[in-house]
Order: sequence, then structure tokens, then C-alpha cells
Amino acid sequence: MRIKTNIKYFKCQSAILILMLFAVACNDHGIEPKPEPSAFEISGFSGKVSFASEWPDSVKRAFVVVFQNPLLTPGDFTILNLKFLSREIPLGVQTYNYSSFDSAFIPSVPGPFPPGTYAYIAVAQQSTEELSLARNDWFVSGIYYANGDTTQPGTMVIPDITFVENINITVDFNDPPPQPPGYN
Amino acid sequence: MKIFSDKYFSYLLKSIVILITALLVFTESMQAQTFSISGKIVDSKSKPIPGVNVILIGTNFGAAADDEGDYQILNIRSGNYTIQFSAIGYEKFIKENIIIQNKSITLDVVLNEVVIEADEVIVTAGKYEQKKSDVTVSTEIISGKEFSERNFSNLEDAIRYVPGVTMTEDQISIRGSNGYSRGTGSRALLAIDGLAFYTGDSGDIIWEMIPTLEIQKVEIIKGASSSLYGSSAIGGVINSITRDISDKPLTIFNGFYGVYDKPYYSEWDWSGERRPFNGLTLSHSNKIENFGFNISLTRLEESSYKQDDDFKKYIGFLKTVYNFTPTSSLTFLANTFNKRAGQFLYWKDSRNALVPPDQNLGDRIETNRYLFGLIYKTLLGNQVIMNIKTSYYRNYFKDNADIPNESTSNLYRGEVQLHSNITNYLVITGGAEGTFSEVQSSLFGNPDEYSIGAYAVGDVTFNFPLIVSLGVRYDYSKLDSLDGSGAVSPKLGLNYKISKELILRSSIGTGFRAPTTAEAFTSTSTGGITVKPNPNIKSEYNLTFELGVNYYPVEFINLDLAVFQNEYFDMIEPGIDPADGLVFFSNLVRARIQGLEASTIIYLLPNELSLSFNYTYLWARDLETGTALRYRPRHIFYSGLDFRKWNFDFGINFRYTSRVEEIDDELVDLGIVVDGDLRVPVYTTDIKLGYNFITNGLPLNIYLNVKNIFNYNYVELIGNLRNIRNYSFGVNLAL
Repeated sequence: MRIKTNIKYFKCQSAILILMLFAVACNDHGIEPKPEPSAFEISGFSGKVSFASEWPDSVKRAFVVVFQNPLLTPGDFTILNLKFLSREIPLGVQTYNYSSFDSAFIPSVPGPFPPGTYAYIAVAQQSTEELSLARNDWFVSGIYYANGDTTQPGTMVIPDITFVENINITVDFNDPPPQPPGYN
Repeated sequence: MKIFSDKYFSYLLKSIVILITALLVFTESMQAQTFSISGKIVDSKSKPIPGVNVILIGTNFGAAADDEGDYQILNIRSGNYTIQFSAIGYEKFIKENIIIQNKSITLDVVLNEVVIEADEVIVTAGKYEQKKSDVTVSTEIISGKEFSERNFSNLEDAIRYVPGVTMTEDQISIRGSNGYSRGTGSRALLAIDGLAFYTGDSGDIIWEMIPTLEIQKVEIIKGASSSLYGSSAIGGVINSITRDISDKPLTIFNGFYGVYDKPYYSEWDWSGERRPFNGLTLSHSNKIENFGFNISLTRLEESSYKQDDDFKKYIGFLKTVYNFTPTSSLTFLANTFNKRAGQFLYWKDSRNALVPPDQNLGDRIETNRYLFGLIYKTLLGNQVIMNIKTSYYRNYFKDNADIPNESTSNLYRGEVQLHSNITNYLVITGGAEGTFSEVQSSLFGNPDEYSIGAYAVGDVTFNFPLIVSLGVRYDYSKLDSLDGSGAVSPKLGLNYKISKELILRSSIGTGFRAPTTAEAFTSTSTGGITVKPNPNIKSEYNLTFELGVNYYPVEFINLDLAVFQNEYFDMIEPGIDPADGLVFFSNLVRARIQGLEASTIIYLLPNELSLSFNYTYLWARDLETGTALRYRPRHIFYSGLDFRKWNFDFGINFRYTSRVEEIDDELVDLGIVVDGDLRVPVYTTDIKLGYNFITNGLPLNIYLNVKNIFNYNYVELIGNLRNIRNYSFGVNLAL
């Protein structure tokens, strides 16, 4: 008798569970498209790189780089901390305008740039014949400074739905800034 | 252009109705000059047994008993027949020499009750035939008829509904053994009739190559099986058993046609069409004296709901058996596969979820694969059975990139196995095997690999209901320039039948897996994902433990409960090298997978209505970081309802997996898979409806399947929307 009661109870539980799962399955359609961002909802950044000296022949390529976290140790200079790597800056130019909407290596698909705080924005150069990802092959030739404070790298803050402009960097190949940890 | 309009569906429906009507009229006319066998089937208490399957062995005639236990097989010509009665929960009853001579006959039978499914056998757990109730590890069985009934043209579709097993696209994970390793290596071993079935380069399982119509059943062994099966079986084994060869000429035609519904969101409707898919298989089986064969050809075509995901596949299969004597035979297996397909890696973004990124538009791949195997089986003396197995597996693929990725691998394998019932209390199985693979590839280079292994396992039974299984295996593997590695893998299993209704099982053992060629040497770049080699990669090991109980509290309910733990050392997982952002395979220091599995089958109406529930809890984590292993859901729940009566077959299957906690975040952060962070729990519901014309004298089954009926959108792998709602109609005709 008790077994029969338990079985009945078990069957009821089973039916309720199935109905609950069916209800979830009916009402929810899972993944849905993210809304297309309008022109007023886009976050990102742009700026200008100015070159104060002639390009040395040894420079083979240069990029604008944006790291999210401060470069305090050699381990911070990694691809996972690198959130923006521009296309190559044409060799020999005096000025270069860039934007997070431009095609870049990172992210590979241009679009809204995630809002947040970015601790290190710079122009980095390489002298190797081929593009290298080794830390020692990167040399910082110019840094973004905020509010005229040249004693430390400037922080870029991108609020929600805001496009930040004037992230400007001056490069003097003859007077490079202090190198982040890990460069020998 | 709209290919499948409402008018078209109306026309299709009318055609089906006319076809069914015509078949019924045709079969009625066939009954004119024939006879019948009829009778009543009761149990030992003279209570009628409904739903008993009655078949005339070696013919296509059969029937099912009605509510009163009455059955009738019509349209039988004069002759001598063997009749078989079978039903779940009852002993099978076979009666020979049933003579039909110019009159119909009546045959009443009594079936004896047994514990449900107690006589079900599996063959792979110990590399010899054992009752499922005697094995020491958790096993599951998929019946071959599932494939046609549910229109599974690919083995992986059926595997998705096995308790404790999940799939991430085409990669199997048994109790969390695998995440997603991009087609490079598997921790489960797939075998077809005992022949290992993995590629020589990537070590990957090619599910789509298995001809599902030729499969009699599939057995899934959960947990490390390295002690018998070697390196690839560290997470479990899937053995596909092909159909027996028919004693009389048997031709089977199987076909299906289906369409995908339109996507739930209109912005995903990239084609404006309902995309069709279809498949055709023609199979023939016959036996001529000592020689018999099964041969089939399958053609599958799909337009796909995703752009550049279309395919055409051709699967050839041949199995021949020659019996030299009643105790020795030679089996030859050939399985060929050709595919031309689009190559959809991931979506453009969530607004274009069924379209690849612009730079990947038009990516295609062609594949040719061949497996040839020989199995020689003979009895040595009176007690020793010897099996010699050899196989050759060639794998070739080439894509259409500007600089094409092209790879060819040849895998040679040989095994000698001896099996003996030394006494009534001891069964010994032992053997040795070796493999050699050579690869020529733009992706993997040209490495060679060889491995050798030797194993022995003894199953001891006692005067009381205990079975002890003790086994050990040694493996050594050498992959090109990598250091060779080897391991001894012992295993101990216990099976104790406390009573007829309550069985305890437990096992503990170790596993070993050498890195595959692809894991060590892949160097390629596709769709923004660059994979680099890791020549320092090492073999991985695990220690696995399981405790399970199977219980019949009452006759119509079966419960199964298992707790398990797998401890992995140097687990090989794909990841991103933080130094350069490139994908590579490396050894995690240590990982642990713990969980429990609970399953129940309730026979609400014996032989008519059954309900099943399976729940698995998985906690798979990297012990160094404390984070979950990638692509392992924590909760898995499957449920099914099956109803069979009046030749009708109706079923509902529901599948739930919780949202996976960890994915390839780097691919999202680097902007390679846009909106790749979108993932949800999985809820899918499928419905099937079938009708069997066998009692009308026509060996025809028809099936209607609706899959993902709620059109729920989900991914298993980031940026890859799984199948949207689709409808298919199938027929299975055996002549």
C-alpha cells in the first residue's frame, strides 16, 4: 500500500517536473540577436598620433596599442591584456588619425569598443623583419598622457554610450618614454 | 524564391495520404490466397499480455498482441516456420517446425516473467559477451531501430540522448571527459564491431562515417577503459555493433525528406527559404552456404539552415563473413565516406547568427575516408577463442583556402586476442595490439607514430553472487620527435547481486592517453584562429572510481544510481598562450571531475507506455585555478516518453543541459567570435510518430519527426547556433 502511494507520488512529481520544463521550453526561445547599436549608443575612442622627429630607418612597423590593466610586471604585457592593436601606422608619416572604428588587428571586427577604464595607451614600434609577438621585440616610442601629466601613463575612461575623442599621442623617436617592465 | 510554399505542403500532405491509402488497398489484396497464425498470449497466471512482439523468424511477417493478448499474423503462405514471441519483462519464447499447409492455425502460448531487461547482453565491456547485469561499469545501449525511428542519419545525434553524455558539436564528452578540442583528439574510443575507429592524424571520431542503417546497437561504456582498450579509451568506449547477416535475401530501403523551419528571428532568415535535407539508403543482405554479406550505399544531402554549412555525403558499407568451419570465420569490413561541404566555423555576429563572417564566405572542404578491416575468429582446442583483427584507415581532407590545408593519414592496426572460460568460475581475456600511423599534412607536418599495448583481464565468479574483474594493460606510444611515453593501467571491478532486484557495481582503475599528432603538431590559421604546435606536450593520466546500484523496487520501475570521480593528471586541454594569443594544446597540472548520475525507467503500461528520466550532476574543475573546465555543463537532464500500441509509435524526448560556465573567452575578447559570449541553457524537445504496416502484411514503417519543436535557439560551441526546428518524413521498407 505504501509502495503504491509512493509510486503515485513519484508519478505526480514526474509529471509536474515535465510540465515545468515544457513551460520553460515553450516561453523561452533562447539566444536572441543583440540590438544593432545606433549612432548615439556607440562607445569607442579616437585620437591623433603626432611624430616630432624623423622616422629612423630601423623602424619596420608601428601600432597604437591599448592595454586594459597597468603594465606593472612583464606578465602584464600579454595579448590577453591587449585590447586594441591598430593597423600599421604608415611609415614616415608626420601625423596619423586613428579610431576604434577603424579596422584593427585587435579586435579583428570593427565595432563598438567596450566601455571601461584602460590604463596604458601608447605607440609601439618593431625593428624585426617579420611581425613578432615576443615581448622583447616591442619598443614603446610614445605614450598617451592625460591632463598634461607626463609623469605617468594617462588612463583612458570610456563611459557607457560615449565616444571619447582626443586620445592624442606624441612620438619623439629621439626621446622615447620609460619602457614597461620586461624590455631588456 | 520561396521553394516550399503552403501550396507545396498541401500537395505533399495529399500525396502522403494517397500513398498510404494505396498501400492499404494493396496489402488487403495480398491477403486473398494466404493463411494465418493466431492465438492468445498469457502469463503464468493466465493473464493476457498485451503488446507482445510475434515474428516468423527469417521472414518479414509479424504482429503485436492486442489488449487481450490476442495476436494474428496474416498473409502467410504454406511452409515450415519458426515463430518467436518476445516482450519486455518476459522470457523470449521460440517454437520451431510450425507447419502451415493449406489452412490457418491457432497457437496459444504462455510467457514466463523475468526481471525487466535482465537478459540484455553487451559485448564490449570485457571484450567478450556478458550480460549487462554482470558488468562492473556503467553502460548504456542504443538500439539500432532508434536511428530510423527518430531519423538519426548520424550516430552523434543519437549519442546526444545518452545519460551522462554530452556533445559539443561533434565532440563527445562522457561524464565530462571532453570539452571542445577542435577536432583534435578524443577521450572516448569509437569502435565498429570491435575495430578502433579514429583518424591517424587528429585522433578524432568521425561519427558521420558510420552507416546508421547497418547498426544493430551501440554500446556506451562510461569511465576509463584503458585497461582493455588503451590510450583513446581514457573517458569511455562506444562500440557500434553492425547488423547480423540475414539467412534469406533481405533488401532494405530507407529514405527520409525534411525541411528546416524558418528561423525564429526574421533577421536570421538569410535565404528566405525553408532549407531541405534528405537521405537515401539501399541495403541488401544474403547468405549463400558458408558465405554471407551485408552491403549498403547511403546518400545524404542537406542545404542547411546556416549559410555555407551545406553538404553532400556518400557512405558505402560492406560486411562479408565466410565460415570455414562452424568454429572459425573470417569477417571483412569496408566503410567508405566522401563528403563535399561548406565550412561554417562561427557566426558573423548575433544579428547574423546563421551567416559566417565575410572573410569566411565560400569556405569549403572535401573529405575522403576509408576503413578496411579483417577479423578472423577461431576456436583453439575446446576452450580458447582466438580473434585476430587488422584494419587500415585512410583519412584525407582538403579545403579551398588560398593556400589549401591538406592532410593525408594512414593508420594501420593489428590485434591478437585470446579468450577462455578456463573454469566455470574464471574467464580470462588477453591480447596484444600495435598501431602505426603516417601523416603527410600542411597542418601537422609529416610525423609518424607507433604504439604497442598488451592486456589481460580475468573475471572471477563465486558460489555466491559476486563477480570480480581484475585487469591490467601496458601501453607505450612514440610520436615522432616527442619523447616516448608508456603506462601500466590496472583496473578492479566488482559486481554483487544482493538480490534479483538489487545489483551493486563498483570499479576503480587508471587511464592513459598519449597526445595525438594534431595536439602536438598543428600549425594553421583559419577564420582568425591561429593554432600553434606544442612539441613539449606530455601524455595525460587519470584515476577513475565509480560506485553504482541498479534496483527494481517494483516490477515496472528500474532505478540506477552512480557516483563517480575522475582525477586527471597533466590533462591535455586547448587554450590560449597569453604570450602571443595563439591557440595551443597544453597540459593542465591537475583536473577533477566528480558527479552523480540517476536514471529511471517507469513502464507505466507494460509494453505500451514507458517514461524515462536521467539526471547527471557534473563538477569538472581545474584544480590549479579552481575554475570549471571548459564546455562542461553542471546539470544534464534527459527525459523520454514512448507509447506503442495498435501499430502506432509515439514518442517525446526532452533534453536539458545547464549553461556551460567556461568557454573560450579569449576568442571573444580578441574579437574573433563576435557576440561569442552569448550562450544559454539548452532545452530541446523532439516528437516522433510512427506507423508499422507489418500486420497488414507489408514490411513497411513510416515515421514523422519534429525536432526542436519550440524552435529554441542555443549553442553548444560559441558562435554556432544548433539545429533550428525541423520536420522530416521517413520510410523503411524491408523486402
